[in-house]
Amino acid sequence: MDHVIETNLLTKAYGSRTVVNKISLAVPKGSIYGFIGPNGAGKSTTMKLLLGLIHPSAGSIRLLGEEMSQSNRLALLRQIGSLIESPSRYDHLTAQENLQIVCDLKGVTYSDIDRVLEIVQLTKDRKRKVKEFSLGMHQRLGIAQALLGSPKLLILDEPTNGLDPAGIQEMRSLIREMPRLCGATVLISSHLLSELEQIVDQVGIINHGKLLFQGDLSALQRHSRGDYVLRVLHPNKACETLLSQGITVRAKGQLLQIPPVREEALAALVHELAVQDAGIVGLTQQTKSLEDIFLSLTSQKEAG
Amino acid sequence: MLTRCLIAENRKLHGSIIWLAFFIIPIFPAIMGTFNYMQNIDILKNGWFDLWTQHTLFYALFFFGPIMGLYAAYLWRLEHLGHNWNMILSAPVRPIYLFFAKFVVVVKMAVLTQLWVFVLFCICGRFFAQLPGFPPVQILFWLLRGVIGGLAIIVLELLLAMIIRSFAAPILIALFGGVVGMGMTSQGYGLLFPYSLMLMGMNSNRTEDIISGQLPLFLLSVILFSAIFLLLSNRFLTRHDIHT
Repeated sequence: MDHVIETNLLTKAYGSRTVVNKISLAVPKGSIYGFIGPNGAGKSTTMKLLLGLIHPSAGSIRLLGEEMSQSNRLALLRQIGSLIESPSRYDHLTAQENLQIVCDLKGVTYSDIDRVLEIVQLTKDRKRKVKEFSLGMHQRLGIAQALLGSPKLLILDEPTNGLDPAGIQEMRSLIREMPRLCGATVLISSHLLSELEQIVDQVGIINHGKLLFQGDLSALQRHSRGDYVLRVLHPNKACETLLSQGITVRAKGQLLQIPPVREEALAALVHELAVQDAGIVGLTQQTKSLEDIFLSLTSQKEAG
Repeated sequence: MLTRCLIAENRKLHGSIIWLAFFIIPIFPAIMGTFNYMQNIDILKNGWFDLWTQHTLFYALFFFGPIMGLYAAYLWRLEHLGHNWNMILSAPVRPIYLFFAKFVVVVKMAVLTQLWVFVLFCICGRFFAQLPGFPPVQILFWLLRGVIGGLAIIVLELLLAMIIRSFAAPILIALFGGVVGMGMTSQGYGLLFPYSLMLMGMNSNRTEDIISGQLPLFLLSVILFSAIFLLLSNRFLTRHDIHT
């Protein structure tokens, strides 16, 4: 089993409104997969489909190497921990009682509560009523609930939602450690790429229910290479040379902008410009932040 | 699997505000019934049995159904609040077991409520109505039989509270059902209406046993209505997308 989650053309429509549109996710085993998209993009719906909380309109789901169906859903759920939308909680009960309820439902022994409380650093607050908890503590309790029973797959829907910067940092560190602590594959969603880029190794970008990009974070980072900018003393001569090489050029005074090319091709271009006496003064490459790529991917879709 | 759901469901009642309602609400019909009895003491000569008619006149008609509605609405409210639905439905248990566990818990609370009502009845009879001795055991039997009659109401109220996110709606429906149920019972159609079954089981506002001779039909009606509502609940839980 290479992939812990595989969906094939997964679709969910409510009447004429398609919320998840032919998504084919592939989440490698042992990875932390960032599922990123703006609010309302279809992230939570996709995650609910994976857990069988809602029924797909079309497509199929394969979890932990097995095709998900009514007959094996419960067996699969035993191996999955999840936190969808916001942590579930019974405010009048203590943290420990809340976790005991999850243990009861999951069929996990209460001794596991000590372990998960330790991981989320809530051990000393176990006897406190959950209604006294801060937002960050609620989120951590939600993670603890998901970790009960040492699941092979963790599905976390915006676990950093509503947290302050310190809380986000804390949650990030916690999630980064998950594969090491529990050996789990993690699917985590967020509407901010910047929030996840430090912890994920795989990325899926979704907007309007469609998966726009999926792959290694490094592949996404390759998209971050932008145009080259040349500063020349003789822009007309330089433009002629570049156009003759079939390169499109945008000129603004002494600055010429050309699209990214392979390094060998760039070296050849620079050599030619030097031969033609274009007077190269400087050469830089623009870089796009991952956030810019995310915005351009999602806005391209909107324009389409 | 069901046992685990039951343990979880019972745990949710620890330190819950619902116990306050459990103790306070039955006091009202006890006061109203006792007051009514004492106002009409000249024509009510059957002692404990007449006090029973006055207690159940209010309790069975206006309180039992809504109390069951309250218990059901409370148990589902715990899931409607926040996103608890996501947690319970992504647990490796059959959804109908989650429902059935709530049913068992409400039945348990119904039995305890009836016992509390009996205690209040004894207190009112001895200390306010000044009745001699203790109430006939038959009345305790009617109270517990009321729970059997109330089983269909409990399943229906749980179904309503599961579907309708409003806390008050199931309670108001139960109030309305109780009033209609009284009309149906007085017209002789009690076995055909779930809210009447509880009134019949409890022998509400009667001194002679209303079910006498038709106990099998009464039980059949309870089982049929309960089974129908249970099947509908299962259908809702397995076929519909739950919007959390």
